[in-house]
Amino acid sequence: MTTVIPVDEFVTDEWYPGFKPGYGHASWYVDPVKTFSKEDEKAFWFLDFHWPRGLTPMGLIWNEDGYNWGTQLAAEQMPLPPGRGITTRLGGTHTYASSIPVTDPREIGQRARRLEHYLPPFLQNFEDIWGRMREEVNESWDYFRGVDLSALSLEDLRENLIQARQYHKRAFEIHFQVMYPLLANYVGFYGMCTELGLDPSQIGKFLQGYDTKIMETDRELWRLTAAARAAGLEPVFAAHEPDGIRAALAAHGGSAGTWLTRLDDFLQVYGWRTEGPADIALPSWTEDPAPVLEMIKTFLQKDTDHDFEAARAAAVEERETAVDAARSVLTLEEQRLFDGGLASCRAANFPWWQDDHNFYIDLRVMLPMRWACHAIADRVGAGHPDDTLYLFWEEIMDVSSGRRRYDAGLRSLVEQRKQYFDYWLHRRPSLPKVVGTIPELVNDPILIEIFGLNSHFLQVVAGADSGGQAKVLTGVPASKGVGRGIARVLHDPGMLHRLSPGEVLVCESTSPNWTPAFAKIAACICDGGGTLSHAAIVGREYRVPTVTGVGVATLLIADGDEVEVNGTSGQVTVLRPAAALPGGMPPAPAGQEGD
Amino acid sequence: MLDAIAWLDATDPQRAIRACGAKMGGLAELPPIGVRVPQGFAVTADAYRRHCVKTGLDEVIDAALGGLDSDAEAAGIETAARAVQAELTSRDMGADLAELITGAYEELSLRCLGVNVPVAVRSSAIGEDSATASFAGMFDTYLGVCGGDLVLEAVRRCWASLFSARAIAYRLRAGLHHWDMPMAVGVLELIHAQASGVAFSASPVTGKTDRVVIETNWGWGEAVVMGLVTPDHIEVGKADGRTLRYRVAAKKVISVFDYAAGGVVQGDMPAWLVDRRVLDDEQIAAVVEAVLAVERYYGYPVDVEWVLDKYRRAGEPVCIVQSRPVTVTSAGTDPMPTTWDPFAIATKYAFKR
Repeated sequence: MTTVIPVDEFVTDEWYPGFKPGYGHASWYVDPVKTFSKEDEKAFWFLDFHWPRGLTPMGLIWNEDGYNWGTQLAAEQMPLPPGRGITTRLGGTHTYASSIPVTDPREIGQRARRLEHYLPPFLQNFEDIWGRMREEVNESWDYFRGVDLSALSLEDLRENLIQARQYHKRAFEIHFQVMYPLLANYVGFYGMCTELGLDPSQIGKFLQGYDTKIMETDRELWRLTAAARAAGLEPVFAAHEPDGIRAALAAHGGSAGTWLTRLDDFLQVYGWRTEGPADIALPSWTEDPAPVLEMIKTFLQKDTDHDFEAARAAAVEERETAVDAARSVLTLEEQRLFDGGLASCRAANFPWWQDDHNFYIDLRVMLPMRWACHAIADRVGAGHPDDTLYLFWEEIMDVSSGRRRYDAGLRSLVEQRKQYFDYWLHRRPSLPKVVGTIPELVNDPILIEIFGLNSHFLQVVAGADSGGQAKVLTGVPASKGVGRGIARVLHDPGMLHRLSPGEVLVCESTSPNWTPAFAKIAACICDGGGTLSHAAIVGREYRVPTVTGVGVATLLIADGDEVEVNGTSGQVTVLRPAAALPGGMPPAPAGQEGD
Repeated sequence: MLDAIAWLDATDPQRAIRACGAKMGGLAELPPIGVRVPQGFAVTADAYRRHCVKTGLDEVIDAALGGLDSDAEAAGIETAARAVQAELTSRDMGADLAELITGAYEELSLRCLGVNVPVAVRSSAIGEDSATASFAGMFDTYLGVCGGDLVLEAVRRCWASLFSARAIAYRLRAGLHHWDMPMAVGVLELIHAQASGVAFSASPVTGKTDRVVIETNWGWGEAVVMGLVTPDHIEVGKADGRTLRYRVAAKKVISVFDYAAGGVVQGDMPAWLVDRRVLDDEQIAAVVEAVLAVERYYGYPVDVEWVLDKYRRAGEPVCIVQSRPVTVTSAGTDPMPTTWDPFAIATKYAFKR
């Protein structure tokens, strides 16, 4: 029986106040970003976990230039035989995504023949291709870093913003041009390994243990932590909230001053990243180092430093052991096939790239747009630098060209739009995870692997398990081992400070800015994601038992519940509800009162 | 006139199948290629045909089966089967043939250094195990029969199994006449089994021809063949003889020889053998060597039943008691590429619809 979750609550022409979506202003390849219409109910839409806060008007440029344009262009260019990429619909400020299928068998066949010529050389030359693309992104990055915005006229700032948007768009063209072939190759290898009779839970290990730029950042964070410990600064961190630590250290003087210099050096290299992927509304660590100081404060609470060298050596050893064990059960003929696949996937390593590229693309390429918007806000006399992030592209173009005065209605609109943003932020925890017609199976491996839309997930979201009674949940076994602890249900990485060492992180999904949390948590549970989602990869690197694709964990697990996470079997058990634990129920976060 | 008795080691392999039926004829082909089989003889298909003519069984059979066609009701087939089988098991086979059989049995006993030694009496119809009609498991086998009279009775029962209701129905559907498949019967030395099992020169599940798959249990192979026990499962790569997998099963049932009753019966596995690995590496290699020799001879994947003699020493061959072509093939399933081809693999696994 087909399950249809109605889209009616999102069907509207109204959007952010003062803006009627027209779609003429944005580029799109196959299908544009839209609000929902009743027609969309025929398709299957899932709530994208990357933006748990929702997107501001300027942030929606990501949907237009990144998500829709980037995936659709890459899917046509490669091409992807069964699909034309991903399109998005908006539920208020929140993004629902759906794949665009190709249904004509003849066309799929022709696309496959084109792919046959495209894929092998791309994989063979991946290191060179990715190297050149990274260089291109970095060169433009250096250009934007070098521009002194304060010296530009408003007209030039407008020009700079247009360039910054083009840079952002190009970066995500690159992103998806790389992601599709890498993922296709990995999913093929994964399927082949499964058919060869290898244990699926071992396959991710074959490609682990290679350093990424994100891991390098984490290592430097721990070095900073060790330096703070050595300088005796623990009491300063312990006595202040994250946003007050910097000032407290400056006042402390002496060794604290030296340490702050070291922090600034760190930020100049690693601080150009935001607390979430592809969101212009988020500051970089350099702009607001509170998240860095907060992490260091948490790390200082642990008795010992995280030993990265030991963890990496263990990951490498585990990789080699897993490969040897796999080869031992294969015939010589199968070993040739396996070795070929492994070499190909190591040369074009999807799990590695999936972490590494965030440093160069997802966590930073919006920053030049943000800087230009802030500078424009300053010039037009906006009340807050972020105010221009609540303008739509046409509006900021008009304001920065002098065609429209900021005070001519925009200032008050911005305030209304902030309220609109907050209204939808509050609604986020209770939004349906999927809407439209739920299929029995999703065939697109990208949706299965990255978003965890496997048959179990589909059953759960179809409503079978949503009664709130379930005490045992299941999902994708993403990182082995068993972990037990108090659940922290977090809807936003901004809430990471609520996480204490030894607790279990429960969230929709994680992205790179959640990574440092893995050094202190006992286990991780995600609503979304498969074996290749961020939490799965980082869970394995940090040896944190992780279950992804649980479907509705953030609805069924209450903050403060004692839970057990079995990352080997994929089972999550609520051992004791929060109310039954000594000390009573910890304070529930906003939006949890219905649980 | 053709002989009623054909010794396996004295029958020209070229005519063995015609004289001794598919199973016994197949065994006669193996010793020349260095594969060990039990000693024994066949009561030939010709002997069965002459018996039917001489004793008037043909008329009885024709009368009983004459009215049946491929649309026959189960009840009608059942009645005909009972009538034919009653005649076949009770009708005297005549002193000449009986003496030939008991005489050959006495000689087999002597060859095995005994008197009234236990033997395996196995049906071996002409035409069974063919590619189009396997008759798998339809005809009788008696393990551990001792003494001339019981051997004669077992031979008659094997003949009668040609007319079980199942076999009649199967022939009706396949459009075969019972005259097309006269029944030879093998009388073979019962190998005293430490362990037995089956071995496939291709995976019976996936059809992959790069490996040998072995299933084995302690004692005789009946419990394995009849599916009464979960056997140890072993996979060996053909190219390098490396054991790829050895799954030790909890084996709860064993087929053992009951000396008082004179036959192989099923019993509880002794506790100390339940979880114990049945075959060591040398024994695995011996099974693999035998099944691959049979495969090379026929030129296509085979499955065999084998027995590891209690008195076998390391380096000696295992004994093959039955062989036939593998009936499962990989045809129909999407074959895996033989070398890494990212496009082919991605198409098969990432873009399947």
